[in-house]
Amino acid sequence: MAATCVEFATGGFSFENCRRNAILEEKGLKPPKVYKTGTTIVGIVFSDGIILGADTRATEDTIVADKNCSKIHYLAPNIYCCGAGTAADTEKTTQIISSQLELHRLNTDRTVRVCTANRLLKQMLFRYQGHIGAALVLGGVDSTGPHLYSIWPHGSTDVLPYVTMGSGSLAAMSVFESRYTPGISREDGMKLVRDAIAAGIFNDLGSGSNIDLCVITKDKVDYLRPYDEANKKGVRQGKYAYKKGTSCVLTETVRKVEFVVESTQVKVEAMDTV
Amino acid sequence: MSLQMEQHEYGTPMQRYWSPYAMNGGTGLAVSGADFAIVASDSRLSEGFSIHSRDAPKTYQLTDTTVLSCAGFHGDILALTKYLEARLQMYEHEHNKKMSTSAIAAMLSTILYYKRFFPYYVYNIIGGIDDEGKGCIYSFDPVGSYERETYRAGGSAGSILQPLLDNQIGFKNQQGVVKTPLTLQKAVQLVKDVFISAAERDIYTGDSLVIRIITKDGVKTETFPLRRD
Amino acid sequence: MFLTRSEYDRGVNTFSPEGRLFQVEYAIEAIKLGSTAIGIQTNEGVVLAVEKRVTSPLIEPSSIEKIMEVDTHIGCAMSGLIADSRTMIDRARVEAQNHWFTYNERMSVESITQAVSNLALQFGDDDADPGAMSRPFGVALLFAGIDPKGPQLFHMDPSGTFIQYDAKAIGSGSEGAQQALQDTYHKSMTLKEACKESLVILKQVMEEKLNATNVEMATVTPQRMFKMFSKEEIEGIIKDI
Repeated sequence: MAATCVEFATGGFSFENCRRNAILEEKGLKPPKVYKTGTTIVGIVFSDGIILGADTRATEDTIVADKNCSKIHYLAPNIYCCGAGTAADTEKTTQIISSQLELHRLNTDRTVRVCTANRLLKQMLFRYQGHIGAALVLGGVDSTGPHLYSIWPHGSTDVLPYVTMGSGSLAAMSVFESRYTPGISREDGMKLVRDAIAAGIFNDLGSGSNIDLCVITKDKVDYLRPYDEANKKGVRQGKYAYKKGTSCVLTETVRKVEFVVESTQVKVEAMDTV
Repeated sequence: MSLQMEQHEYGTPMQRYWSPYAMNGGTGLAVSGADFAIVASDSRLSEGFSIHSRDAPKTYQLTDTTVLSCAGFHGDILALTKYLEARLQMYEHEHNKKMSTSAIAAMLSTILYYKRFFPYYVYNIIGGIDDEGKGCIYSFDPVGSYERETYRAGGSAGSILQPLLDNQIGFKNQQGVVKTPLTLQKAVQLVKDVFISAAERDIYTGDSLVIRIITKDGVKTETFPLRRD
Repeated sequence: MFLTRSEYDRGVNTFSPEGRLFQVEYAIEAIKLGSTAIGIQTNEGVVLAVEKRVTSPLIEPSSIEKIMEVDTHIGCAMSGLIADSRTMIDRARVEAQNHWFTYNERMSVESITQAVSNLALQFGDDDADPGAMSRPFGVALLFAGIDPKGPQLFHMDPSGTFIQYDAKAIGSGSEGAQQALQDTYHKSMTLKEACKESLVILKQVMEEKLNATNVEMATVTPQRMFKMFSKEEIEGIIKDI
């Protein structure tokens, strides 16, 4: 309704403020930090191993871009990693580290340890000084037992019995803080992780759709996707299929292909054999 | 945030920012037919990534035959609707009659334009019955530009719903389609379906849907559950 | 007239012990010095007819204006201190335009009359609106118009009181004219009959001989809204009398 009379933005990059920004920064300007992770990811240590959990919503600003995306990434057969933040960063970072871990396994002929994955991830993220927007929950079981880490985009890490990350981390942590007990059973642990993710899904607008779980034990990994559908989709009452011919054909051109008849006989030729 | 500017001999001048507005989301929708109008909205009130309320519908009944839908900054919505109610009462006392839907629309336009340089951050849609008994819809921008229409979606999912309504009610981009007039039953069903779809993709739309059906006999209200994630 | 005249007829803000506001009553008396004006409401529309006192052959008759347009759908006839009516007509016009601007609809005749009455009542106020005076207005008005309720005629006097009428006469000849209206008015009167009747009655109560230059006439109808009659049109009606 409002008439447009502003200048239209031209495409491409603009560097016109670079020098100004450098001078402002020199004078003490702190550039605004805007960073949002529209996700809920969690992990816990339970009696026999690790349970990781994640929601499946991916957002672009206020629009849901993917209603069922996968946020629990494979690192090694015994190690998985949940990612929050910029989707491309979490995916590529885990893939790069995954390949490095596989090379490490080949070189050492041992099952890789979770602390190795943690060290590789934090070194990479630190090198990029936070510009790789990946906030991770790393979990796995190795020869020394179950291990759970949270890794921040700038490269700092924590070792904890239960962790949450992403915009729904507060909602999820509230569930852990009230119900987590050391040595929790597999069954109770899965229910707890489910409820923590559900808290994020319902109370954080950046999180939504389904709950994925990954249960890692000494000799088995259960990757449950989906583990639970937190929301049932509404059932539409109307029918919205179009009748044939509804789309309009704007132009139609029929062109005759000119050809010359050279022969009407089919010649049988012997196959080239040596 | 504050920006440090040039040094000055008597202290450091600071540029300060003041942001009196917030965006509290929500979607409104109005559809009119031969003898009815429907005004609907979701009931989610949110800010950033948080939900303030799951039960805050954004429809406001102004008279027996007029309903207003508001989306935008909730503080301005409260101020605007309160002021509208006062003006409605004043009109009734001064002129001994209820305000017509068209008069309310004209008045809302002037109210919005009086705050041209400090606007109410509110997207309004009015639905009602006109002087001839037909359904009517008026849509507004925040500074008072308005026009009468037959259907309109506004608010956070307005831009994804409007093309759908253009296609399903306006029969846009459909070749050889029979343009049947919209019945009340079809309209209510369409409104529900359209909100189910909006709740799928817009994070600020959800929780529940409130549908106000306006006929010459008054306003009936229906509610319908939506996704809560 | 008022034999009990006393100190109480000085201020406009003081009631007499008998409960009267003399200045207002005197203002109403002033109307009875004014030229006669008549308004008749019919189902087809409303007619206003006013006597013009052309007291000297050197007067340009068309410069005497006693019927004015308030909005396209409302006219106003007046009697009394015509100068006082200017501010009231100004107010009526502003209110009508303001209503149209705000609500995109025509203001009703009753609402216009109410708005002007608000101004008329503000005499003597310390912080009155612009246009209000320290004394009551010395003029009575007949508002005629078309609104959603149909053709409407309202009378307002200097006290701010306003009443709806089927037919009303004001001014010096009002007593005789009102009696004549009561005798001749009927609900099924046509507008044409009303126009003729108003001139017949004016002719009876006027001191001078009635002609096309010493009367003014206007109608408000749903079809043509406010319309002043030309000299020729008035002559046409006079011929039929």
